[in-house]
Amino acid sequence: MRLLLLSFVLVFVSCKKDDPLVPTVPTIPNEEEVITTVNYTLTATNGDVVLFSFKDVDGDGGNAPVIVNGELDTNTTYTGVVELLNETVSPADNITEEVKEEGDEHQVFYQFSNADLSTTYTDTDANGKPIGVATQLITKGTTSSTLTITLRHTPDKSATGVADGAIANAGGETDIEVTFNLDVK
Amino acid sequence: MLNKGFLIFSFVLAFSLLGNAQNCRLNISGQLLDLTTQEPIAYGTVFIKELKSGAVSDSLGKFTIKGVCADNYHLVISHIGCESLEMYLDLKRDTLLQFSLDHNHHHLHEVSITAEHKDPTIQESQSLSKQDLTQRSDKNLSTMLEGISGVSAIKNGSGIAKPVVHGLYGNRLAIINNSVAQSGQQWGVDHSPEIDPLSANEITVIKGVGAIEYQGNSLGSVILVAPSTIEKEPHVHGSGNYFFESNGLGNGLHVELQQYKLNWNLGWKVAATVKKSGDNRSPNYYLKNTGGEEANVALQFEKSVGKRLILDAHFTSFNAALGVLRGGHVGNLTDLETAFNREEPFYTQEEFSYSIEAPRQQVNHHMAKLHALYFIAPNQRLEFTYAAQLNQRKEFDVRRSGRSDIPALSLDQVSNFGELKYANDFGKGWELKTGLQVNHTNNENVPETNILPLIPNYVSIEYGVFGLIAKKWEKTTLELGARYDSETRNVAAISTSVPRSVVAFSEMYSNLSAMSGVKRQLTKNWKLLGNVGFANRNPEVNELYSNGLHQGVSGIEEGEINLRPEQSLKGTLSLKGKVKNKLFFEALGYYQAIEDYIFLNPSNEVRLTIRGAFPVFKYEQTNASIYGLDVSTIYQMTNHLAAKVQYSFIQGDDRSQGIPLIFMPANSLYGELTYDIENIGLGKFENIELQMNNRYVFEQTHLLTSQDFVAPPEAYNLLGAKVSAERQLGKFRLSLYLRGENILNTVYRDYLNRQRYFADDLGINVIVGINAKF
Repeated sequence: MRLLLLSFVLVFVSCKKDDPLVPTVPTIPNEEEVITTVNYTLTATNGDVVLFSFKDVDGDGGNAPVIVNGELDTNTTYTGVVELLNETVSPADNITEEVKEEGDEHQVFYQFSNADLSTTYTDTDANGKPIGVATQLITKGTTSSTLTITLRHTPDKSATGVADGAIANAGGETDIEVTFNLDVK
Repeated sequence: MLNKGFLIFSFVLAFSLLGNAQNCRLNISGQLLDLTTQEPIAYGTVFIKELKSGAVSDSLGKFTIKGVCADNYHLVISHIGCESLEMYLDLKRDTLLQFSLDHNHHHLHEVSITAEHKDPTIQESQSLSKQDLTQRSDKNLSTMLEGISGVSAIKNGSGIAKPVVHGLYGNRLAIINNSVAQSGQQWGVDHSPEIDPLSANEITVIKGVGAIEYQGNSLGSVILVAPSTIEKEPHVHGSGNYFFESNGLGNGLHVELQQYKLNWNLGWKVAATVKKSGDNRSPNYYLKNTGGEEANVALQFEKSVGKRLILDAHFTSFNAALGVLRGGHVGNLTDLETAFNREEPFYTQEEFSYSIEAPRQQVNHHMAKLHALYFIAPNQRLEFTYAAQLNQRKEFDVRRSGRSDIPALSLDQVSNFGELKYANDFGKGWELKTGLQVNHTNNENVPETNILPLIPNYVSIEYGVFGLIAKKWEKTTLELGARYDSETRNVAAISTSVPRSVVAFSEMYSNLSAMSGVKRQLTKNWKLLGNVGFANRNPEVNELYSNGLHQGVSGIEEGEINLRPEQSLKGTLSLKGKVKNKLFFEALGYYQAIEDYIFLNPSNEVRLTIRGAFPVFKYEQTNASIYGLDVSTIYQMTNHLAAKVQYSFIQGDDRSQGIPLIFMPANSLYGELTYDIENIGLGKFENIELQMNNRYVFEQTHLLTSQDFVAPPEAYNLLGAKVSAERQLGKFRLSLYLRGENILNTVYRDYLNRQRYFADDLGINVIVGINAKF
């Protein structure tokens, strides 16, 4: 009787697949939204370039991310640009473009552990609010600090302090949160 | 609430007195008796719909309707505090009817499980009747069952809920819909069962020790959703049921039509439900994006072939779109902590909206079932069931660049189930039931998400065989049962390392389960039930193969490929009885030991990702125990006034680590005061009932602070009220109700509601409903 029932089931299933005991081979997705890499490039007025980089090509598990920290000169004005890449595909996708296109739904925040350091936004979205992909950083004194770069999706840019770069009232979902060590000499 | 007065009626005799009376001089007479005491019931109403007239029973319970023409009639029999009952009568001669009504107004549950077609079990069970279901039309399956002691619901907001019985839920609790194990995506606590409870006739919770008769995972308890059988009535009958609820401005409509063509031996029934609600409201703010929509259809056919064979077919389709609180959608641990510390969730808006945006779920479940029942002899029957189910689940997240309309998770599950059962009532109290089952499941990711799937593709084939034997003596009933299951599962997963590749896995399990029970009538009014059962549950694919970020809980979850099946040993003991038809009492105690209990253990590891650092949770096994007590008491103070008190206590422990189990329901105390207004006579409001109720839920204190992100919410108290009445209006039997929930608009959060991290629970809700039956 068991065999009879089995064959019954097999007949029904076999309309769809060759072997009812073999699962469908999954399609490996094109993970087009994944961000693997954050590059923060600071260019001094004299043309010197400092690169901060966080790269985690295999996603949340697996190998640990590779982090590159940087050293800045004191009393210098730097132009900062954030670049987000998806390096699971070749050539890499530039996610920064998506963020800029939906500028009103995104904002990058910069938090320093040392209060002497801060960035100012130099770009704006369609509503005149900052996006934070382009920034300016002026250094003074000698110090060590951490820098946390956070990308929020759908933040409330009208909330208190958010347009000035304060993250506390921003809300939204965090797409990126990476921390670097930064020395000013 | 759930133990609404029940009118159990037994149509004892209808025989001819005088063979050849005049055509229009026929009499319908008879008597109404109390089933338990055999005393006459006065002031009961017997109403003939076609004639818009009837009679009221006298002090001896007798009634007579004189001068009726020979014809087909529909009688409505009603009595205070009871669910009205309809009966079809083909009047050809003078007819004497005797109705035995179960007149005890507020019963404990046992009376409600005597419905035909229900297999007797001596495991403790409680049911919701059609009337209970109708008066809770605004609720979903899980929240409907919440009123039963020992039953609670894990929620994600108010629309998404899954039932919890004696602390177990999801893959540890079998949901049997129309005699077939519901096949669905039970991977998370945010997946509710895809069943339209309004199409059911009765929903029963078996607070048991093992589900010997049913395939599928259960470590004891079972929820049975039973559709109604088609009444043997030659005319088209039906009902319409509409409700409105103030919280969420929800509307719902359920309609049913049915007929039994006597000359064809064929019955049909069609039922449909539509529901729509918008943003719910907590006492102080709207809960943005918590609306829902539902559209369901059920079709049913029943055909008798000869005297021995009954065939029936069912088709059901469940379709729902459910919003998830916008402010509960977080990207990482920082977001989660920020959300915890806010009074009002992010994205809260001043105005109400019906729109459902991401994050949202779209769920479809379709089932086709064919069933044949063949009587080999009056005491022997053979049953064959075949059922196919298709379950489709799509979940939408807030995504970049217009991808919010592309599901982030999209799974199709097809299952095919076949069963052959044999039952024999040998006589002298001996009964046997045995059966074979086979189930094939194919779970497949639809490649449209562009996201690495959480659940791998797999196929599973399960075989089961069971036997149950029962023996009834005068005062004692004994039941013994065992089942054997084997499962083979083949999995095709995508590797977590890059470059991505497909990895195949395979598992085989075989399990033996057994249970035994005894029921003993201690005295005329008191009885004792005891059950012991051993059951197993195989590790599920999410427990074995999960690997990645579970955004909703901001944790990385890692499956463990070497998990063993869980093994449960559960015992229950219950005592029920009554004192002088005034005081009704029932207590159920249980203890369950689960070896190799699978749970998500927070490890000390914190993993750095591009979204920040996340805690890592690993699926591990431990030895757990759950024990508790459910108590219900009803005191009938006067003929009109009754009080009910219900208490549930439960505690779960991880015995190996000596710490509490997480996600165990908090203890609760429920009280209810019901007043019936005696109102008799035809064409008036009948069965008027006023009710006040109060639910107190204790704080879950059996938990360590390190076991959750935020401490469990404080105890809370919810006050409710209900008014209901019935009225015969021409051919229609109307039943009306007005219900208020949380009428004091109390601000509270519930431990089992995952939305508690972000927002307050529901504020006041007033529901008004009308049901018209013809």
